[in-house]
Amino acid sequence: MERLFCDPRRCVGCRACEIACAVEHAPSKDLFVSVLRGELGPPRRRVQTLGGEPYRVAIGGVALSLGCHHCDPAPCVDACITGAMHKENSQTVCDTEKCVGCWMCVMACPYGAITSKQTALKCDLCPDRRERTGRARYACVEACPTEALFAGALEAFQQALAQPVTSSWEVAR
Amino acid sequence: MTAGNNQRFVIIGASAAGSSAAETLRRRVPNAQISVVSDEQFTYSKPLLSYYLAGKLGEAQLFFRPPDFYERYNIKKIQARAVGFRPEKNSIELSDGTKLDYDKLLLATGASPRFPKIEGIQKAGIFGLRKLEDAHGILARLPKAKRTVVLGGGLVGLKAAAALKERGLDVTVLVDSPHALSQMLDESSARIFEKIFAQNGVPIHTRAKPDAVLGQERVESVQLASGEVFPCELVVVGKGVDPNLELIEGTTIRKDYGVLVNDCLQTSIENVYAAGDVAQARDVLRGEPWINALWPCAVEQGRIAALNMLGKETIYRGSMRMNSVQFFGVPVISAGLAVLTPGPLGGRPGEHDETLESSPAPGIYRKVFLKDETIVGFVLIGDVPIEAAGVLRILMERRVNIASVKEELLELGPDLGYLLPLIAENKEQFVEREFQELVQTVGV
Repeated sequence: MERLFCDPRRCVGCRACEIACAVEHAPSKDLFVSVLRGELGPPRRRVQTLGGEPYRVAIGGVALSLGCHHCDPAPCVDACITGAMHKENSQTVCDTEKCVGCWMCVMACPYGAITSKQTALKCDLCPDRRERTGRARYACVEACPTEALFAGALEAFQQALAQPVTSSWEVAR
Repeated sequence: MTAGNNQRFVIIGASAAGSSAAETLRRRVPNAQISVVSDEQFTYSKPLLSYYLAGKLGEAQLFFRPPDFYERYNIKKIQARAVGFRPEKNSIELSDGTKLDYDKLLLATGASPRFPKIEGIQKAGIFGLRKLEDAHGILARLPKAKRTVVLGGGLVGLKAAAALKERGLDVTVLVDSPHALSQMLDESSARIFEKIFAQNGVPIHTRAKPDAVLGQERVESVQLASGEVFPCELVVVGKGVDPNLELIEGTTIRKDYGVLVNDCLQTSIENVYAAGDVAQARDVLRGEPWINALWPCAVEQGRIAALNMLGKETIYRGSMRMNSVQFFGVPVISAGLAVLTPGPLGGRPGEHDETLESSPAPGIYRKVFLKDETIVGFVLIGDVPIEAAGVLRILMERRVNIASVKEELLELGPDLGYLLPLIAENKEQFVEREFQELVQTVGV
């Protein structure tokens, strides 16, 4: 299964992924229009500061973009009293029509990856973005200006992590 | 193929634990015979009954599984009551007179509302709020009811009180304890909600011990030990639940307050398991078997019991007291024992040695209880901080020493990123694949 990862060495904490995520999940899919109409919701992934100075130096990074891990078994699915939170082809999906906003899933999620705003909101892996726009599937990955976000299998990401950090600017030069 | 395909699995109870177990079994043994016994027609969510009572949800929305759940999973649903149990013969007797033989049995019989033993408690117009029929009974009575008394200031009592207020009734809550939500909140946190209820027109009387329900056949008032009388046409009882143990009466199955189970959720009889509100299983905070009659625990226990019934040894990590609820739009999440006032069901003296508190904005209140630099309880009230709940909860569950992040604990919000070094240092406690990957890929 394709999953989303973040390379902390490349993440500078710019929060472009958060904006892209919020826009992707707004009705208009447009930053300006959704802000103007007041319909820009919270992002479903969040940029977080990496803890502890020595730790940051050791891994050479300052921030990390985190979202739903689509766990299996998923504590949020166990906790859901309505059946809104469920597994679908190994993804964890929230049916917001069913959600009553009891926040049991928020209490259960050990990653703090579920946002509470009337209903529970979480990463849905942009199910229709590629078809709708003809662009990349994941809004956050496409928006990441430092290529910190990575979509793919764990093994592929581990290979990427084994490479030294370079920039396309350096490569071009 | 998993072993167990030729076995007969019988599950008594079709709520959170029972349906979770049935689903887990079916996913792993496509050909096994799985029967679920319940005297109720539908499989519905009990925690949603107060939403139904308030008129926020229709009946169909209470069904947390698709309507064709049993057909889809090829599970035999038997609408009957299990009335007899012969463990030595591996057999269950049903209320329709038939017998049901099993190879593996799961007791998921749940619990029933605890009614106070006071005069007049059997009168017409007095309901618990545990079953769909309770909600139907209350709703049928609404046209003739103007005033309601709720006995009990726990989660169910207060959810019922708020729901009936939304239906336009005059609601009064009578609580024995010194404060409401005594099984969920500390006194100062509970006072916040007592105030919210009062502001919304629902007075909560604490230290109010009911003495009798007065009236002819139907309830007309509730009288306190002090002599004070509260006239009402409807009484809702929300004073906790007791496990349904009738079925194991007369068997040798070990029980205490509930059915005692080991860490595989197995009872003292080898092929009989128990899960959900009837099962007294490991409590991670108390260090002794306990019943945390909570939806998430029941679902998890149902799944883990099912895996063990299939011979796939799976250890139950244990449950803990935790609650999430909203009253009149104000959310609160609390977990841990230290939150509670010491008492037989509550915390124990000396449960915590330090309290961190902050109220960064009006309507937002956070409190974390520590003992020897580990989290032993927390309360989060208001919109902003609740996403921190899951992260605080896992740090508490895994008993992580938080000394290095204590200053930031209330400021962090849900910042898992900041806590990653701590999780990496304690990675043997975070065995889940997702945590391991996170720790590996971040390069600790």
